[in-house]
Amino acid sequence: MENEFTFALGPVDIGTSIITTWGIMLVITVIAWLSTRHLDMLPGKLQTTVEGIVVAIDEAIAAVAPEHGRQIMPFIASLWLFLIIANLVGLIPGLHSPTRDLSVTSALAILVFLSVHWFGIKTQGLKNYLRHYLSPSPILLPFHIISEFTRTLALAIRLFGNMMSLEMAAVLILLVAGFLAPIPILMLHIIEALVQAYIFGMLALIYVAGAIQSQQLNPPE
Amino acid sequence: MEFNLSTFVLEIINFLILIWILQRLFYKPLLEVITKRKQFIDQSLSDAKNLQQQAEQQCSRYENRQKLWEQEKQAAIAALHRQLEAERKAHLDKLNADLEQERQKANVVLSKQRHELQQQAEKQALRNGAKFAGMLLQQSAGCELEARLFTLLIDNLTTLPEACKLCLTMFGTKKSVPVKITSAYPLPIEMRQQLEQKLDALINSQINFQYHQDKALIAGLRMDIGAWVLNANLQHELTGFAEIANEPE
Repeated sequence: MENEFTFALGPVDIGTSIITTWGIMLVITVIAWLSTRHLDMLPGKLQTTVEGIVVAIDEAIAAVAPEHGRQIMPFIASLWLFLIIANLVGLIPGLHSPTRDLSVTSALAILVFLSVHWFGIKTQGLKNYLRHYLSPSPILLPFHIISEFTRTLALAIRLFGNMMSLEMAAVLILLVAGFLAPIPILMLHIIEALVQAYIFGMLALIYVAGAIQSQQLNPPE
Repeated sequence: MEFNLSTFVLEIINFLILIWILQRLFYKPLLEVITKRKQFIDQSLSDAKNLQQQAEQQCSRYENRQKLWEQEKQAAIAALHRQLEAERKAHLDKLNADLEQERQKANVVLSKQRHELQQQAEKQALRNGAKFAGMLLQQSAGCELEARLFTLLIDNLTTLPEACKLCLTMFGTKKSVPVKITSAYPLPIEMRQQLEQKLDALINSQINFQYHQDKALIAGLRMDIGAWVLNANLQHELTGFAEIANEPE
């Protein structure tokens, strides 16, 4: 279950998770290119499907952050799309989900952490953004700082732990019970993959929206 | 479960690249086309709303116009009815007047025809009366009736109007006056003498008496004194009746 290194480019190790991520990126890019080659005002089946996906994501984001939905939409939507495919890749025999790798989930969690502050500072300014750490009382500043780190850590560990345990459980059941017993586990894998992708993306959305709207929730005196 | 820094960094870079790719290839064009479609739909809805408002305004305008037309039509119909009623009344009055006039004419014509028929009946009655009287008198006439007519003639000669007497006196300027006396029956000598005495007293001249008999007189006498004729016979009376019946109005 460890991240097996296939080759190294100088000081950079290229592991299976990175290769799988590139494959996922390639698939997503090809699908995106194919589905948006000939966009029309009267959409076909493929265009209708991708438009439905984008509109659903856009509405979900707009429900949480109605004023800045379009601003954070590419980041959150990319998280959801990438995580759904990345989580489901483990169902393909011979492939492993990149999200079972702590380095990958940590990278995503760090991106969420950075984007929270990026969007917060971008929309409110540095001073106003930092002010919300002192509200409602400066005493809570340490707790705010701890919260920032712990929730980022929780994001990374939650996704990593769930996906790794899911794959491990599937392998163990496959070893113990033969070929028919893993089918419910595969169904569970699909549901769990979708749920984890949704949870990660939704938490990221809530964190970013909270950073953007923190000044509105705690207006300066 | 080892943490690999290369994977960590590469994953961050990969995901940022993925965001960039998706933003360029996926989100942006899709959101643009969705926005365009939404704008198109909004525009279409706006146009449809405007069209609907225009249609409602047109509908309202046409309804109002239709109401006005209906009112104008009702007014025109009412005016037409009044005009028709007036014309009908005028025609009816004229017709009644014409009928009254025709009735009066017919009454006049009828009364005239009735009068003519009455006159014709009266004339016919007179003619029939004259005819029947003539037939009756022809059967019942005789010497006695002629004697009475003779007496009546003598009385009339006595009581002649002055104008007639003057006319008879004018015959006195002539040397001889022919007097033709016609009777239905032979006139007895006494009657002839009485008549001649009477005429001699009226005419101061020589009188040439000529006596004739004519059954057509039925009874009585006729005296022709020059151009002057004195009738005292039934035939003359009946002829008088017939002439009265045949006289024009």
